[in-house]
Amino acid sequence: MVMETDVLIIGAGPAGLAAAYETASRGLDVTIVDESISKGGQLCQQTQILRTLPSPFLAMRGYELANTLINQLDEFSVRYLLGHRMIGTYKDGSIGITDETNVFPVNPKKIIVATGAAEKAVPFPKWTLPGVITVGAAQTLVNRDFVTPGKNAVIIGSSDFAMDVAIQLSDVGVNIIGIVESLPKILARDAEKTEHIMQRSIPLYLRSSIKEARGNGEVEEIDIQFPDRIMTEKVDLVCVDGGRTPILDAFYQLGCSFGFQEELGGWLPQYNEFLQTDCKDVFLAGNAAGISSQGALLITGRIPGVRVCEELNIISKQEAEHERASHWKELENLEAKLFPEKWEARLNHIKNYANPLLKDQFIS
Amino acid sequence: MHIKDHPVLGPQLQDPVTIYFNDQPYMAYKQQTVAAALIANGVKKFGLSRKLVQSRGLFCSRGRCCSCYMTVNGEDHVRTCMIRVEEGMEIYPNLEDPEVRGDGHGD
Repeated sequence: MVMETDVLIIGAGPAGLAAAYETASRGLDVTIVDESISKGGQLCQQTQILRTLPSPFLAMRGYELANTLINQLDEFSVRYLLGHRMIGTYKDGSIGITDETNVFPVNPKKIIVATGAAEKAVPFPKWTLPGVITVGAAQTLVNRDFVTPGKNAVIIGSSDFAMDVAIQLSDVGVNIIGIVESLPKILARDAEKTEHIMQRSIPLYLRSSIKEARGNGEVEEIDIQFPDRIMTEKVDLVCVDGGRTPILDAFYQLGCSFGFQEELGGWLPQYNEFLQTDCKDVFLAGNAAGISSQGALLITGRIPGVRVCEELNIISKQEAEHERASHWKELENLEAKLFPEKWEARLNHIKNYANPLLKDQFIS
Repeated sequence: MHIKDHPVLGPQLQDPVTIYFNDQPYMAYKQQTVAAALIANGVKKFGLSRKLVQSRGLFCSRGRCCSCYMTVNGEDHVRTCMIRVEEGMEIYPNLEDPEVRGDGHGD
């Protein structure tokens, strides 16, 4: 039995939900697939306040934004397939969805892939020991599972996100032994976060890195390498922030082409100003279209949503063009100011649309 | 440790359940994932790597890295960061590759 739908959205995170609102609120039948058992993606465990959100949203905490995005879909025709994954395509082009027991085809008119990003590891000897986790994992344990992941922790990396997580770990009683940054300066752009770290007397170690972790079955000790010395610390938790990279599995399965933009997280699907890939009827949104700020992600969900409505003749060309111009203006406002190098990379990426680096092959 | 009173979200852990890891009982709460509940009880080592037999535990908590594979209620290779605990759940570490070719698995 084939499930028919106007729009199939892969991923129920902020970008997928934003794309769902654009399409469902204009009367299209929308189906959202997410492998998780809950909606909202990684927003659900973001307890920090997000300040630069697009209109009509005011500053709010991440999980509040998740609830807002979920609730605004209540009155529309949206079918959720939670605990489901896209695992491939059938010969006739329909999409194979599994509930982990059975596989069934979904035949959409348009697909919007919003699979988000994955955290990258930071390699050092014995980085695979239990107790070495990503900063995102630490945040998930604290804010989703209500579990303290350790007693004495070291944070590797000083991005805004690493700072948020350090503060949140400290607030639930984890002793932060230090924040280790290999560069000569703090990476966090929000000076307020660094201030919070200072207020908590958490040491910031610049020009330093992890030389080695040790432990019997789990992490017990680490060596922090400074330019002139090595410091050994007893820890039961190491949180690594290696940055994030777009999750591309669905794009491989659909046969999309790829380009490379370091500032947007590395390899990412080639797309044009409609956030449309070079596969007919396949669009993308959110971190999958380049790692960016929370506010920017929402707009990258709206842009393909508008195009899908235009292609399915739900809105006129004029209306779509008007909407598109205003979304791109707002994206520029949010992205170019805070992350000018990301904005540049995005424009470059779109320019390369006709000349993708990789076609018909996997990135290994 | 379980966080009884979260600094932003308040008291959230209401419904306790008992789970079993290596036949030992541990206390968990309904909304927790299996991996998180075990970490709350001080269990971090979830298994061994297949080739070099190195300890493995939770890493990404997003279902991406598969480092938290365990056997749950008889099913092998379950991503334990992605499923929630249930009363009486039986969990065993992932110490070797499961037997996938055989009568019960449709070879």
